[in-house]
Amino acid sequence: MSETTGPRAPGGPHTLHDLDDLDDLAGLGGGGLDSEDAGDSGDASGRDAGGASDREAGDASGGAVGGAGRIGESAGRDGGGAGERKRKGGASSSEGSASRTDGARRPTARRGAADPVKALMHRHRELCERAVDPLEIAAGLEAHGVTDRTATRFRHRDVFSLAEEMYARASRDGEHTPRPEEPERSGARADWAVLALLPGVLCLAATLGLRVTEGRPRLAVAAAGVLAVTLGLRYALRRGPLSAGQRTTGATRGWMCWLVAYALLGDGLLSAALDGGPDGPWPLATAPVLALSTACAPAAWCAQLFVVSARRRLTASRGLDEFATTVRPLLLGVFALFLCTLGGLLALSATVLDEPPAYTGAGALGALLLLARLLTARGFTHAPAVMLAGAGATEAIALATVFAGRLPGCSFLATPVETVVEAWGPGAVPALVCGTAAFVLLVHSTRTLTRASAHALPIEAV
Amino acid sequence: MVVRIGLLTEGGYPYVSGDARLWCDRLVRGLGQHEFDIYALSRSERQEDEGWIQLPPQVSRVRTAPLWTVEDDGVVYGRRARRRFADAYGELAAAVCEGPGAPDGSALGGGAGAHDDPATSAGVEADRFGSALYALAELARDEGGLAGALRSEGAVRALERACRAPGALRTARTARVPDLLAFASHVERALRPLSLDWYEGDGLDSVDLCHATAGGTAALPGLLARHFAGVPLLVTEYGVQLRAHYLASATVGESPAVRALLAGFHGRLAAEVYRAAALITPGNTHARRWQERCGADRAKLRTVYPGMEASRFADVGESAEGSGCADPDTLVWVGRIEPAKDLISLLHSFAEIRKEEPKTRLRIVGAPADGPEGTTYLAHCRALAAQLFPDEAEGVHAVGDNPVSFEEIGGPEVPSLAEAYASGAVVVLSSVVEGFPISLVEAMFCGRATVSTDVGAVVEVIGGTGLVVPPRNPRALAEACVTLLRDPERRERLGAAARARALELFTVEQNVAAFHGIYLEIVSHSPVRRVVVDEEGEPLPFGVPAEAHVPGRWTEVRPMAVGRPRWAAGAPVRATVPVPAGEGAR
Repeated sequence: MSETTGPRAPGGPHTLHDLDDLDDLAGLGGGGLDSEDAGDSGDASGRDAGGASDREAGDASGGAVGGAGRIGESAGRDGGGAGERKRKGGASSSEGSASRTDGARRPTARRGAADPVKALMHRHRELCERAVDPLEIAAGLEAHGVTDRTATRFRHRDVFSLAEEMYARASRDGEHTPRPEEPERSGARADWAVLALLPGVLCLAATLGLRVTEGRPRLAVAAAGVLAVTLGLRYALRRGPLSAGQRTTGATRGWMCWLVAYALLGDGLLSAALDGGPDGPWPLATAPVLALSTACAPAAWCAQLFVVSARRRLTASRGLDEFATTVRPLLLGVFALFLCTLGGLLALSATVLDEPPAYTGAGALGALLLLARLLTARGFTHAPAVMLAGAGATEAIALATVFAGRLPGCSFLATPVETVVEAWGPGAVPALVCGTAAFVLLVHSTRTLTRASAHALPIEAV
Repeated sequence: MVVRIGLLTEGGYPYVSGDARLWCDRLVRGLGQHEFDIYALSRSERQEDEGWIQLPPQVSRVRTAPLWTVEDDGVVYGRRARRRFADAYGELAAAVCEGPGAPDGSALGGGAGAHDDPATSAGVEADRFGSALYALAELARDEGGLAGALRSEGAVRALERACRAPGALRTARTARVPDLLAFASHVERALRPLSLDWYEGDGLDSVDLCHATAGGTAALPGLLARHFAGVPLLVTEYGVQLRAHYLASATVGESPAVRALLAGFHGRLAAEVYRAAALITPGNTHARRWQERCGADRAKLRTVYPGMEASRFADVGESAEGSGCADPDTLVWVGRIEPAKDLISLLHSFAEIRKEEPKTRLRIVGAPADGPEGTTYLAHCRALAAQLFPDEAEGVHAVGDNPVSFEEIGGPEVPSLAEAYASGAVVVLSSVVEGFPISLVEAMFCGRATVSTDVGAVVEVIGGTGLVVPPRNPRALAEACVTLLRDPERRERLGAAARARALELFTVEQNVAAFHGIYLEIVSHSPVRRVVVDEEGEPLPFGVPAEAHVPGRWTEVRPMAVGRPRWAAGAPVRATVPVPAGEGAR
């Protein structure tokens, strides 16, 4: 013990488990602890035994919580206290250890340090630096066996006042303590990034199938394709940054399907209806749907980019407003990136399938769907649900008014849609509707997705 | 009379893996004449899956709520509710962030605490925190959906404002956005009891008294029941929650700002619980000191020692009184083997003892503590014992063994705990850290002389019926043991005194009787004033007799027989079976 404690105290690594370390060291050093105590605390324990017998005087009064015992104990305290203080003093003074190596074991020499609290603080350095208030030091000290009776050796009434002194004297530089690292979610599987390609692949297969088949098989292929793409989409979006958990309601899901179905069928039906039809099947617009389903992958990647960058900005920012101002350009940038990718995909699929590219309609729909999904994934379910339902209903009404206009006396109903289609073509209806909804959602998300609370990591149940 | 008690637990009683379930179970079983409603908060899914222990018939209902699920009831607040929430949460955050010495004149009227002693130490702060807490609870009752609001941006903004306000804690000012978010989610978890539906409609409003088995979150429902329905609150703490929080926060890797805020929150919550409680029963002086430190009024504190089953030690204890039949040369140590018990020091002191008394043996009885640490420590101690003491035998032809033996309860040598204590002349406790020393109390029940180190509640428990030495002083421990080993008469005397003391203070019966008395005291001093209604829900005129409303402290001024309230009309019921008069007189 004398070999271990002395040199360890000034420079050695001190941990909170100091006591355990001491135990270990004492054990490893064989009789080290023993020999020290045998040498220098003879008188201490002698006095202590006296104290113990004093305490026994309280035997008769079993019920009284040892009044006599306490007095006796305080008499015995001096002995033990001296021993303890000596050890503490020895911990920080080279004089103490020197005197021990000479074999000159004068108790007074080991009293050494005039400031026993300093030695104690040194021993519990980490606790003192870490503590946020005196009570934390008190709790830590008590966990290491410091009691009120120990505190009297440091000229304190109780552990609390000792802890207060230690708290006041400890140098706490909040800036210097290393901030805990953000827990890296290692092992989080990134298979969603590949899975996000699944709807696109399925849709491509279905489109090619539609190209090569005719008649009844074609219907079967179409049905199977729709089913496969829907299931693939659900599977692909179950994990990853766009996963919405259980937050999406059935109605919202239905409106989303309707919007995509309109992109596939709506324009053709609208033009046919305005021309007095439809007579038989009208042409399908597969290119925008193919582009949209392929765009799942860039959407997921963009969303991940947004989430990760936002979280990085979160850890770096000092205030909520600062965070909002740094995240807003990020959100707009990611949104623009997605729009460009979607535009590219639209052009590509139009070229491949040899169809006219519906940039505005499909682009607006893609933007709407991305924003709705981003918002839902971060817990804002209300606005996306409203906007999706609104957009779907408007498109449905647009179609319905064209047909209703054929009723006698109701031709005025079809006038607005006719005007729009005459001016900009049938693709203008979904472009206008989805574009408006997407714009509203974009404005909404610049207010909500820039909130810090939208990026809080959920605490797992302990 | 029957008192209906709402027992509030958190991660505790009815669950198989709960804390302090043994104590609660004994309490509930011991007070069969009362009615218990249990309101339990569960701490984890595993705990909930493990189920409940068997409940006695006096438990009339159990309501549970999880603290671990991420729930969202989808309620979105309107403008007015949002403003109410922002005000209340802002007050709460301000009270938490407030530095220790910051004077604040804007003490909100703590409507609930009007009849309490206003001169508690942290009066203004606690008041501010308390009124904010109750405002949030009222909001949750009126509108629901508090969980979502506590995680919302509004909450985080209020926190940020409070942290940046002048007079806020220095550490709180360094809080960054992630710190605010982390603290907000901690608060959301801690305040989940606010969203429960326990306070209305035959819930906690219908009990006569709430008994919280721990401070902190467990006592929150009690606070609200007191606020909403005026139900008195009794808080029992065997380990102080705030202290446990501090110790736990050391291991959690949160930033200083979050820890400072959390410390503030739990400190204020503890102060509010102590302020609102009608009585507080710490389990020992140590807990009592912490409670006083956290602002508990001394007049409300009643130390109730934990009770322990004395009957299984009865045989050993009674036989010890007659003759010292135990092996006079054996020391026994019983407990869980872990570093805090400092067995190393014990082995060293045993080496000292053997210099004086070479025939002495030491039996270390106990299993290693859970986890790798306990096992390594046991191996370490075994190695040290083998190193210090060579095996020894009777003669040249006998097979020797070590004077130090490590045994476990249930082994061939030590079939039961009582036998373990009975096998030694002196029981030794060498811990450096100790809470309430259970093994010491058991040794006292067995009527053994003890030598213990002066840690934790040891002095309070032993109270002069055994020897106490400073911790980490093997020499002193050895001296004390040798003294006792050489003096069988003194050993016997000490053992008898220890047994008498333990039987008086640490039995289950004393614990149960103490709580019985406390229940009756609380119910008589602060009866719940309820409006008695008829079938249609109209207030019943004269439903409560006029004397129940007599102002002033009539329960103290007059003898009970005169101003006895309606529910106390019957004969007082004893905790134990009453002894017939004739037998008692004999």
